[in-house]
Amino acid sequence: MPRPEFRRPLVAAALVLAGMPAVALELGELMAELSQRRAGEARFVEQRFVSGLDQTLQYSGTLSFTAPDRLARHTVAPRPESFVVEGNKLTLERGGRTRQLMLDAQPELAGMVAALRGTLSGDASVLRQHFKAAPTGTLAQWSLTLVPLDDRLLGVVRQLRIDGRQSELHTVEVQLADGDRSVMAIEPVAPPKARASSP
Amino acid sequence: MTSPASWRRAFWPLAAWLAALAGCAAVIVHTRFTADLSAFLPASPDARQQALIEQLKSGLPARTLLLGIDGGTMAQRADASRALAARLRAGGLFEQVQNGERAALADIAQWVFERRYLLSPAIDARRFGSEGLREAIDDTLSLLGTPAGAAVKPLLDRDPTGETQRIAEQALGAGGPRSEGGVWASRDGARAVLMVQARAEGSDLDAQQAAIEQVRNSFSSVAAAGLTLRYSGTPRFAVESRAQIESEVRRLAIAGAVLMGGLLLIAFASLAALGTAMLPVATAVLAGITAVSLGFGTVHGVTLGFGTTLIGEAVDYAIYYLIQARSSVSSQPGWRDWLRTGWPTVRLGLLTSVCGFVALAFSGFPGLAQLGVFSIAGLVAAALTTRFVLPVLMPDGTHGVGLRRHLGRWAVRLVQRLPRARHCVTALGVLGVALLLWHRDHLWQADLSSLSPVSAEALALDASLRADLGADDSGVLVVVQAADVQTLLQRVEGVTALLDTWVQDGRLSGYDAVTRWMPSLDTQRRRQAALPDAAPLRTSLAQATRGGPLPAARLEPFVDAVQRSRSLELVTPESIRGSAVAPLVSNLLLRRADGGWTALLPLHAGATPPDEAVVQQAVHGIEGAQALNIGAELRRLYRHYLGEAQGQALLGALGVVVLIALWLRSPRRLLAVCQPLLIAVLLTMATLAALGVPMGILHLVGLLLVVAVGSNYALYFDLLRHQASFDADTLASLLLANATTVLSFGLIACSEIPALSAIGRVVAPGALLALLLAATYAAPANPPPPREAPV
Repeated sequence: MPRPEFRRPLVAAALVLAGMPAVALELGELMAELSQRRAGEARFVEQRFVSGLDQTLQYSGTLSFTAPDRLARHTVAPRPESFVVEGNKLTLERGGRTRQLMLDAQPELAGMVAALRGTLSGDASVLRQHFKAAPTGTLAQWSLTLVPLDDRLLGVVRQLRIDGRQSELHTVEVQLADGDRSVMAIEPVAPPKARASSP
Repeated sequence: MTSPASWRRAFWPLAAWLAALAGCAAVIVHTRFTADLSAFLPASPDARQQALIEQLKSGLPARTLLLGIDGGTMAQRADASRALAARLRAGGLFEQVQNGERAALADIAQWVFERRYLLSPAIDARRFGSEGLREAIDDTLSLLGTPAGAAVKPLLDRDPTGETQRIAEQALGAGGPRSEGGVWASRDGARAVLMVQARAEGSDLDAQQAAIEQVRNSFSSVAAAGLTLRYSGTPRFAVESRAQIESEVRRLAIAGAVLMGGLLLIAFASLAALGTAMLPVATAVLAGITAVSLGFGTVHGVTLGFGTTLIGEAVDYAIYYLIQARSSVSSQPGWRDWLRTGWPTVRLGLLTSVCGFVALAFSGFPGLAQLGVFSIAGLVAAALTTRFVLPVLMPDGTHGVGLRRHLGRWAVRLVQRLPRARHCVTALGVLGVALLLWHRDHLWQADLSSLSPVSAEALALDASLRADLGADDSGVLVVVQAADVQTLLQRVEGVTALLDTWVQDGRLSGYDAVTRWMPSLDTQRRRQAALPDAAPLRTSLAQATRGGPLPAARLEPFVDAVQRSRSLELVTPESIRGSAVAPLVSNLLLRRADGGWTALLPLHAGATPPDEAVVQQAVHGIEGAQALNIGAELRRLYRHYLGEAQGQALLGALGVVVLIALWLRSPRRLLAVCQPLLIAVLLTMATLAALGVPMGILHLVGLLLVVAVGSNYALYFDLLRHQASFDADTLASLLLANATTVLSFGLIACSEIPALSAIGRVVAPGALLALLLAATYAAPANPPPPREAPV
């Protein structure tokens, strides 16, 4: 599928242009904004571009996050599947079977979960522990690029890019080391919950 | 010994004795000494205990070491872990070295991959219909484009239904320890952890020691400065316990010999007498070891340690002889007099001691049985040496005087004064009974760990490494037994069907089962029968992939693999020999000595640890299957033995009383002999209770020893009571014998080996009490008691 590859530079250029007038976005600033959110529900549509397959793989379902560390992804179509992580406990449901896993025993998954949880909870230290984190844009329209620090994770995931507006995430794009790629578009279902008072 | 007649008289006992010593030495040279748990496990177990013993003795835990690397940076620890693992894999002493490196599992992965259509639980006829194929392929595809897809993608053409993944996810369970820098780490990441399994049997302590040394040497040659190695596990405990027991036994033997020697030297002031007194002791120890070695095949270290305590009792016989044979009144040599006067009492004392220990010798607890046999053989040998060898070497006892005269004077004074305290002591005895009744609920301690010499510090390290590795977290197993291996595997499959539902609902995070690597032949044949011919499979594939992202044309390798699997050699115990999964299987499938088979299914705890009773209930309907909780089972065993030992001790004590009654043939004299023994035992127990020391099996053994030693004292006082006056020499010999006993058991009371210190702390005060009380209850010397003829 040539289209996404073709579109990417354009998007990047647009982002650079959009970011130009403002002062460079600081990671701390972005994290402070993101940490305002304590919980959220969203629908997602994910497209995966996998070499050797005739078509793009498409998945849709819901995402939810509850601070500080509960993250759930329920896939509805094409086949029901769920991925729920809370603390170090990961529960997977796939093909009618449930598995309990320790997240830290799965370094690749742990890296991905750290990227999402760190961003959603606005925890810069978690992100810096696993990634070189580079924000661009403005709070109104930001983009965060995460490059893994760990060689083993880098051998699987080349980089993640998360785009968002204020405290909401809109897109999560993952580039895998073998050239495969996934783009997840996120759309909040409920209006943002009341902003939490400081913890 | 100048005349030919006395030479002849001297020759035979000496020759027999020396021949016996040579025989003992020949046996001992070939004796195997152990320090493993075997002494504390039952000799004739029921089926459930049998499984426990197999698990403890040769099972995985007995040869698994947990390693931790502390200090340095994460990268240094990870490098050290990889380098250490590489050395150990090349070293040949370990059958498995796990440190979380995926490459290490490549052989197993390849083996599984080749047999995926025999091993995967998903294989049935529906799986290869168009609908089943579509679902399976969709499930596999859903991993692509994610980090998890990296493992699946290379296999896609050959394994589009994800059978390898399916087998792996079951086998890996919750995934094990944390992964840091590509190797296992503790959950906080501060320590790299490894788990290694020695090839050798757990009970082969020399081999375990060599394995541990290889770990330490390999680590010191690969590790960066600043890194430290920590290791734990049953092999370490067993090896170090053995070393500790060995050094402790040596220390105790030397200290005991020096103390005893000093005491005897002061008492006799004669080196010859000292040397002679040590002969029955040395003979006793040699005979004890020989008897245990012949009877049990191996000698446990604790038995050996106990042997040093025997010095205290065996030397008594020599002391009695050396002092009493001297006080000859007739023109005959002293030994002839002694045979008439002293020997019958020593013989009776010996018989009562043996009577007490016979009960132990029949214990189902090999540790206790060894102590019993050791004591009986040792005491008999000491008495025989005293009876037959000492008269040859020192026909008139010892001529040395030393402190003996003073000892005699003190003893007489003591004997004259003590009876005044009789009522006071009786009152104390009553008080003791009251105290014991008061404490009766927590008098006895049912905990096997009270016998273990492992320090609290070592146990803490073990617990922390175990937590880091998540090793065998629940301690609960399902044990399945059957006469032949295929029946066993079918039963195991019945259990796994049940356990799968528990994993599904989260009650367990996983379990291990041999059928993952070796399903029953029935199951493997059923799976083979479900594999379709190439033509129908292609048709189903075409339907299943129509309109999907994965073209059927790519899947020809899959069709080939399915066709090959239809005639693949089935997995059997014979076929896996030498393969990559052989160590995995041998941990979970055991061939019993009786030719039957046992399978172990360790359960991994879910949210809460599995309850043995609930598991037992659940597997109740499956023949040959039962739940086993190792910790609880050991406690149950120990409680059982404690109860058994209590019964045996009572029987032994009863035997002692009957024997004395038969000898004395007078209820009054019987009472006079038994009363001080009973009160000595009661007061010793009451003191322990008052000090809050819970009593275990070895305290009980100590009490039996108090009765055995104390009965000698009581019988002597009974003998003296029926003579015209108290003989100062006999009293001196009693006092000296008591001093040596109290000293040698006092030494043992300070031992760091709990099993030995428990015995010492009972016998040292108990023996002293027994002597004092025997004196207290002996009739006053003045006026002499009326002559009393035995009925």
